[in-house]
Formats: sequence, C-alpha cells, structure tokens
Amino acid sequence: MMYKLVLMTIACIFVGDAAYPQEDVPNLKDPTMIAAGHDLFLQKQCSRCHGEGGKGGINLTRRALDPRSVFQAIADGRMGSGLRMPASRDVLTDEEIWKATAYVMSISQQPK
Amino acid sequence: MGKLILAASLGLTCLLSTATVALAEAPGTEDPNNWPQYNRTSNAWRYSPLDQINKDNVSKLSVAWIAQGGDITMGIQETPLAIDGVIYSITSGNRVAALDAKTGQEVWNYQPKLDPLTKKVLFSPYSRGVAVGDGKVFIGTVDGRGIALDQKTGKEIWQVQLTDFANCHGCNFTSPPVVAGDMLTFGSTAGELATQGKIFGVEAKSGKKVWEFNTIKDDPKSWPGTSGKYGGGGAWMPGTYDAETNTVFYGTGNPGKDFINEDRQGDNLYTDSIVALDPKTGNLKWYRQEIKQDVWDYDSAYEVLLFKKDGKDLIVHMNKSGYVFVLDKNDGSIENIWPVSDLKNFVKDIDKRTGELIGRVELPMNQETLICPSTFGGRSWNAGAYNPNTGLWYNNVLDFCGYLKPVAQKDDPKDYGTGHIGASDFGRLVMAPDGRKPGRLDARDPFTGERKWTHEMDVPGFASVLTTGGGLVFNGDPTGILRAFDADTGKVLWSFNTGSGMRSGIISYAVAGEQYILVPSGWGSYAAILLPALFPQLEKMPAASTLIAFKLPK
Repeated sequence: MMYKLVLMTIACIFVGDAAYPQEDVPNLKDPTMIAAGHDLFLQKQCSRCHGEGGKGGINLTRRALDPRSVFQAIADGRMGSGLRMPASRDVLTDEEIWKATAYVMSISQQPK
Repeated sequence: MGKLILAASLGLTCLLSTATVALAEAPGTEDPNNWPQYNRTSNAWRYSPLDQINKDNVSKLSVAWIAQGGDITMGIQETPLAIDGVIYSITSGNRVAALDAKTGQEVWNYQPKLDPLTKKVLFSPYSRGVAVGDGKVFIGTVDGRGIALDQKTGKEIWQVQLTDFANCHGCNFTSPPVVAGDMLTFGSTAGELATQGKIFGVEAKSGKKVWEFNTIKDDPKSWPGTSGKYGGGGAWMPGTYDAETNTVFYGTGNPGKDFINEDRQGDNLYTDSIVALDPKTGNLKWYRQEIKQDVWDYDSAYEVLLFKKDGKDLIVHMNKSGYVFVLDKNDGSIENIWPVSDLKNFVKDIDKRTGELIGRVELPMNQETLICPSTFGGRSWNAGAYNPNTGLWYNNVLDFCGYLKPVAQKDDPKDYGTGHIGASDFGRLVMAPDGRKPGRLDARDPFTGERKWTHEMDVPGFASVLTTGGGLVFNGDPTGILRAFDADTGKVLWSFNTGSGMRSGIISYAVAGEQYILVPSGWGSYAAILLPALFPQLEKMPAASTLIAFKLPK
C-alpha cells in the first residue's frame, strides 16, 4: 500500500505540469488558432521579452517546448535562472492561453 | 623609547584628526568612513574621500568577505549602506539584512510578507536600497508600503500602506525613501503603469502619511480630456534632500502611454521633470520639465547632483535621453544643456538656453521608427560619480538604438503584467548605425560636458560608478568584470571577475582603520531579459545575489 502511494506520488511529481489530459489539448497546429495566438502574443506584450517573432532577449525559437508547460507558464508565470515571467491567468481565458500556446509552439523547435 | 613612540603616535593621531576635520568641511567629504545614504552624501556625488586604496596599491586588492543576499530573482540591484561598521543591505523581494562590515556576518534580517500580486506586476521584486535615520532602517516595498525597522535589532516599528497597489496597475516602490529632516519621502513607480505616479511625505517617527504630490498635474491644458487619468509619471529613483534650502528634489518618470501622444497634446506636466518639493508639506517650489510630451520613454528619474560653483548653487541632472541639464538650484532656470553622446536622433538638439526640443521625431502608428538612444537611454538608472579632486563626472554611456512601433492599446489597470506603453515591446534593439562600440565609461566636466577620457566597452555598463579620494574610479559590467580605473587618465589598473553581471551600486567605507570596496554582483532586471537580443554573450549570464567586499592585504 505504502509502495503504491510512493509510486503515485513520484508519478505526480514527474507529470506535475500535466494539468490537462492529452484529449483536452486543442489542435495547436490550426492556422487560425496560431494567428489568433500571435495577436495575443503581441497584445499582451509577450514580445516585450520574447521579441515579435520569438527571437527577443528570451529566445523561443531555439527551444524545444512542451505545450502543457507553455500553457502553464503563460497561465501562472514562471521563475527561472533568476528571471521572472508574470502570470496571465486573470487576464486571459484558458481558450486564449491555448491560442498563445499554439503560436509559441509554431515558432519553437518541435520535440523530437 | 616607549614614551617617544607614544608621543609620535599621539602627534600622528592629532595630525590625522586635524586632516579629517579639514576634509569634513569640503563638500562630498563629510562622514568619510561611512556610506550613510543612497548616493553617500546629500550632493549625490557617489564620492568616497577614503584614500587608503589608491593608484599605487589597487592592484593588490583582495577579497575580504563574501555574503549571499538570498533570492536571486531579477538580480541584486541595491546600493548598500555602511554606517559605523554595519552594512545595511536589501535584496530581491525586500529582504533586509544588517551585516558586520568587517566579516560579512549577518547581525539580523527582516523580510516582509509581500502581497501575492507582486508576482504579477511589472516592476517586482526590485529592491534598490534602504534609508537609515532616527535609529531606524526605512524601506519602500514592492507592494507599496513604507516600513520602519529598529536599526539595532531589525524589529518592525511601523508600516504604512501608501499606494493603492491593486488598483493602480501594481504601482509600488522599488527604491528607498529619502530622509528629509524628520520626514521621509517615497517616490512610486508609474511611467509604464496605467496610473498617476505620486510622491508621498511620511513622518519618520510614526509612519503617518502627511501629504502626497501627484506627478500628473490637474490641468486640462497639460493633459487634454481624460488623458491624464493614466498619465504615468512617478518618481522611481531616490530624490536628493538639500538641508540648506529644506528641499527634496525628485526626477519624475515618463508619461503614458509611452509611445503614443495622440490624446495627450499638452506638456504632460510634471512628467520627465525635476520637481523641488517642501518635505514638510509637499508644496511645489519649482519644476523644470526636461522632455515635453515625451514619446520615447525618456524619464527624468535619475540622481540629482548638487554643486556650488562660482558663487552659484547648481543642479546637474541627466535625463534618460542622455541630455544633461545644468540648472540653478534655487529656481530651476537653465544654465546649460549638453548631451553625453552624439548618437541621438529623437531631436536634432535641445536649445541650451530655453530647453526647447528642436526638430523632434514623432512616431507614426503601426510603423517602426529608428530612435537613438534606445529606451534604455543614453545611460541607465545606475548613477554616475563625481570626484572633486579631478573635477570629473564618470558615467556609463549606452550607444545603441531601438526601433519603436506604437500600436493601439486598451487602458486596463488590472492587467498587471502588460505595460501601459502603446506598443508590443520596449523597442527592437539594434547597434548604432555607424558601427561604433555600444557603450563606454566617460569622464566629463559636469557643467560643460567636455570629455577628458573614455573607455570603450563591447557590452555597456549597467552598474552605478564609484570614485574615491585614492584617485580611482570603480565600474562593473554585465559580464561580471569589476574594473578600477585611474580617475585622471582612464587607465585600467585592476580587474576582477565577480561571477555574475552588475546592476547595482559599488560603495566604499572604512572600519577599524581599513578601507573596503563593497560590490553587489548579480545580473537581473529587465536588462537581463531584453539585452541578450543585442548582446548574445549575456544569454547564459548566471544570476546571483552576492556582496563581495575587497580590501588591501595586511
């Protein structure tokens, strides 16, 4: 029993950012969604740090990103390497965050 | 023999005491062993008269101690204080600590519980300094409070909420208050925020708010229609308190939206201005606006230096555009205006007598316009330093540009993470069109701008400069290299790799007869986020929050 609990806990840590089951992830390759995401990327000044095409100070085009992690970073913000990305959950709906995610995935390196 | 040594020692002591008294009468040399306020002295020179470390022995400087400041988020941005053998330090998230100045050992620490909203707002958890007075350590917090701590124990004495943090787009304090007699003055962030930036007057003893000064003037000629409602401004760097005239001088922030002036066709007072306030009442004595109806993000928030020259009381102040304004301290009238760089195209020039902008470049909507200098300015907020022995003012100069592209934007003071700037970014950074180096350390006459020497850099400096009675200038760069220069010639005499970039203030102090150079090292702020696009060597720069103290070996 204890062994199963420990195993489940470890599993939860490793998929900690998988807040959305695979089936809930929309089609991130939909061109309409990517275009809408680009608009949001500019409106919400993601481009301030990432550049208009993702090649800014925090360059997204050289990164292999996971869509759920991107969603979570946009929603809840992110801290890393001493830098801070603000959270956007209160100003963007889940649907909008997925659109922005679609755009980010379209400019990043796809996972191999 | 013993008596002879004793007599000689006493004689030497008397001689040194006399020298100290004589020195104390010269401006900028008072309280020589300490660094008791943000810019050390009330004239904001950032000059330490200490001369034990000098041109002849600086090459022998060694690390005396290292202390860690805690959270590294957005780096270490402070100028620490040194008073009677104790360092007062503040690091990311407003963590305050008192350290033994000889060893770096922590005496006490204090960290306020911050509003969780600080994780969402633009300018957080920046912490640029503390103020000390009346047996207390004072801070302005990144959630808009003023807090007083017991100087000996670090225990909280009072706190007061000054800004309406949640409703003013996250306006807060990123810099320390100014001790102005028995009052404190706090300047709030604004500029890029959908708010009206204010300066607050608070009783140092009790924390009671006495007054607030709105940097957005209630005047429809200056702010037509409702354009002033979210006009920005603010005063996000410490002001200068002049006890002689009982005046606190602040430089104010830029108007919002930064890059769109369509609906604010007035002067937009008191943005991009020096304001002279009575610290008891907040009454405005005079103002001098440096940039009217700014569309290039050229705040006036930087340090206000005070001088006496040829019988005149003068202010020297650098606007973010890189233009330096020399003003009469008593009424703000213009004595001279000069630029730190010829890399400027936002105007053809500024009239040296009237301050009028000549040939200003407007920004058409939805189009990129190349503007020099970039929104980082001709210099960043990190202060320069003036040495009375050389008569030179040492400043980092930023010689690069940016493409600005205004786009329509809704006003939303609850959208905390999005700047109220009227653009998608702060500008696409580019090197200067003529291929020059992007930065340098300049030594200039503060009144005429005449340059004595310059040190060019591949990555420009973003830390505050220190100059000393030992004829030295200390400057740190974003790659972590700390350099000591000959203050007369600009020759590099010593360098040291601190391990992370510098975005902070270097100070000097003495304790137990030994002079120290104290250097906060830890790259951060928006500079760390935005600059790698132009300087790829900064992309992998490790963050840190480290205080490194140097002294001469015994």
